[in-house]
Amino acid sequence: MLTLPAIVFGALAAAVVAPWTLGRLNPRLLVLVPLAALGALIYITGEVTSADLITHQISWVGSLGVNLSFRIDAFSLLFCWLITGIGALVVFYSASYFSDNPRVKYFTFLILSFMAAMIGAVLSDDVIIFFIFWELTSVISFLLIGFDSTKPEARRAATQSLMITAGGGLALLAGLLLLAQAAGSTQFTVIVGEGARIAELPIYPFALILILAGAFTKSAQLPFQFWLANAMAAPTPASAYLHSATMVKLGIFLLIVLDPAFGSTAIWQTLLIGFGAGTMMVAAGQALRVEGFKSVLAQTTVAALGTLTLLVGLDTPVAAVATVGFFLSHALYKAALFFVAGNAMHATGISSLREMGGLYRALPLTAAAAVVASLSMAGLPPFIGFIAKELLFEAKLAGGLTALVAIALIVNSVLVALAAVVSLRPFYKGPQKPAQLRHRERISLVTPPLILAGMGALLGIIPGLASSVILVDAASAVAGQPVDTKFKLWHGLTPMLGLSVVAVASGALLAWKWRPSHAALSRVETPLLFQTERLSDGLGSLTLALARWVTGMLQHGSLRRYTLVPVAVMLAVLCFAIARNGIAVPELTFNRPYIIGLTIIIILGSGLAALTKSFLAVLIGVGLVGYALGVFFLKNGAPDLAFTQFAVETVFVVIASAIILRLPLTVGDARTKSEKVIDGTLSIAVGGAATVMMLAVLASPLDERVSDYYRLVSLAEAYGRNVVNVIIVDFRALDTLGEIGVVALAALGAFGLMRGLKIRSRKTMS
Amino acid sequence: MELVLALGFGALVAAGTYMTLARHTLRMVLGLSVIAIAVNMLLFVAGGIGTTTPALIASGADVAAPDSANPLPQALVLTAIVIGFALLAFALVLAYRAHLALRTVDTDAMREAEPVEEGGR
Repeated sequence: MLTLPAIVFGALAAAVVAPWTLGRLNPRLLVLVPLAALGALIYITGEVTSADLITHQISWVGSLGVNLSFRIDAFSLLFCWLITGIGALVVFYSASYFSDNPRVKYFTFLILSFMAAMIGAVLSDDVIIFFIFWELTSVISFLLIGFDSTKPEARRAATQSLMITAGGGLALLAGLLLLAQAAGSTQFTVIVGEGARIAELPIYPFALILILAGAFTKSAQLPFQFWLANAMAAPTPASAYLHSATMVKLGIFLLIVLDPAFGSTAIWQTLLIGFGAGTMMVAAGQALRVEGFKSVLAQTTVAALGTLTLLVGLDTPVAAVATVGFFLSHALYKAALFFVAGNAMHATGISSLREMGGLYRALPLTAAAAVVASLSMAGLPPFIGFIAKELLFEAKLAGGLTALVAIALIVNSVLVALAAVVSLRPFYKGPQKPAQLRHRERISLVTPPLILAGMGALLGIIPGLASSVILVDAASAVAGQPVDTKFKLWHGLTPMLGLSVVAVASGALLAWKWRPSHAALSRVETPLLFQTERLSDGLGSLTLALARWVTGMLQHGSLRRYTLVPVAVMLAVLCFAIARNGIAVPELTFNRPYIIGLTIIIILGSGLAALTKSFLAVLIGVGLVGYALGVFFLKNGAPDLAFTQFAVETVFVVIASAIILRLPLTVGDARTKSEKVIDGTLSIAVGGAATVMMLAVLASPLDERVSDYYRLVSLAEAYGRNVVNVIIVDFRALDTLGEIGVVALAALGAFGLMRGLKIRSRKTMS
Repeated sequence: MELVLALGFGALVAAGTYMTLARHTLRMVLGLSVIAIAVNMLLFVAGGIGTTTPALIASGADVAAPDSANPLPQALVLTAIVIGFALLAFALVLAYRAHLALRTVDTDAMREAEPVEEGGR
């Protein structure tokens, strides 16, 4: 089905282009991009629900076995509906929310690219493509959380989320590659098909843990849950989109995709149920402690994600139905509540729940949306949240673990209480005369939450609407087998209903006593075990300190220490070679006694150059060494070298004297005594190693084949009798041209440096 | 002779290393020139020092004598001498210019590119 790549790449292209073209006319027009994607997705609904799974493959990097393959089943279609539908509302909402912010185009660009990346991840069948889109969502989420880049807490939260989710992403990549290797294909469909075989392999537990690390970081499971709470530093439309409805669900989505393959293994069930239940409890506790409007919502999101993880871990058909139902209902009410929170904060300019109150007079429609969405969150009839919660209880009862039922009961009571707190406290309780309002209700800001809350109510009242269109098919896709529908409002007098009544009653009590309980709980220290944020921060600052130390060590700005490093490395390499091969001694001859004299001059010249204070003496030392070498060349069959050496040495000494005379002659070496001792020791060691090296060179046999070739063909091919000259100007003429180029460049450079001086000195004179 | 030459080479390398480690720009540059001389010597000696006959083709002969000096390292050293000279001349001018601009020849005091508050130390 060609529609899948068309939707993914079309959304990507539109995200990049539209904000700067369409958005220039009116940012609200950008809502057309997600709506077009949603339209295309609705158009293919019939085709998707009539088939179990549709795949489409475009060959890409065939040699690596990586192809642009896409898949869609009823559940991923449902997820894409949520992504594009809520995406449209977010774009619409942010156009108004940021009406006085010139960066609204950039913000919408981020939201639209995020939407495209999400669709890409959900629809891709290739693990590599999936991973690319997965990381793209992490990066864009980083940019969105840090949107208010002038605020330190936004930057900190953005970095933290990137570290956690991108770090988890690396683990995920390793896990996916292990799976792909085991399955012999990078396609999810093949991996899932081979699931039973892979689960038997010894590699399976490692692959699973790596993948769960990726999914748990993304979906803010214990012990990574803290980044999501801090991510509330993002602008509210971004929070509504990323951190409630879409991005954090991507980890759950991955679990759901792999569930048919590994859902029946014990390690999968243990880990998912354990971490899911733990996350639920911790998040419920945290939710009662925090007081920011968005922080409360964030913690309930973490609890909901824990619930979803747990549900995926339960291997029953009813758990599949519950997963899908809760997935849908949570996306609807949580996005609505974030919009509501955004409205209240936008209008009042305060963010603490304890300071808000009596807003229903000023923001009646927002208050209505808050109440309706909260009722769905609390799981009261006739809202979709009620159906989802009944299913949830049923799945946990069917799971057979009483502890799970107890946890679900506690967490649901907390959700009921917080639903009441976030809908009643800011709007209907507290001071009847609200604080100074920045603006009255704006119709464009209340439409999105009203639509979402209305959807929740509509799907609750007519559950058949959702289940006949997609829910049953989606649940079948999640379960990996056809399931019969249980998606209805009234199940009769079941144990689940009893649990609901208990949850609502205890939640109401908790809400009534919210202020004292909140005050009491916020005084309690978090148990050390759950302070993973401090661990992560500690690791982060340790890494930074290490980086600062290493940079300080390597880039200290001292030329002497920069030079010491290669010298020491060279010495180490030489010592290693000597230690390995021993000291090779060539056949010693003693036929040219004048060489002793030359060597004495060389040694004296070196010593003079290295040790004297006067620069003229240094220059004399260098000159002596050069001339001695020239004499050595002359006497050993290299007259050309000798002449060049004499000429160069003379010119060099002239230039050097000219410059030295312009510099302070008295300034000695600034090294301290101990530095000199270190350098001296090192230099003598290097010199000793060099001596051994030259002996080794002389001891090794000489291969003269190339030289013999030049000796033979010099006259015949190049008509020259001086073999050295023929090599330079004929056989290696190109080399020599390059050499001339270097000399010319050096001369030009020196000329440029000197010329600048003249101009300046003339200016200063006049 | 081999041992003597090797000792001379070692002395050159030691002196050159000691000079390049100095905190004075000119000493550094001159140290580089000493190292350049040492490397040229090594290249030349590596071609063999058994003979003293230049690699010239006598008039009347068609090829150079097989026991003449090794022409290949000579060609390489010739190039190296000239390039080394160009580099050192440029470095000398640069050192002079740096002294004019910064009023110092102490390399540790030249912190324009890596100011002290950013780097270590």
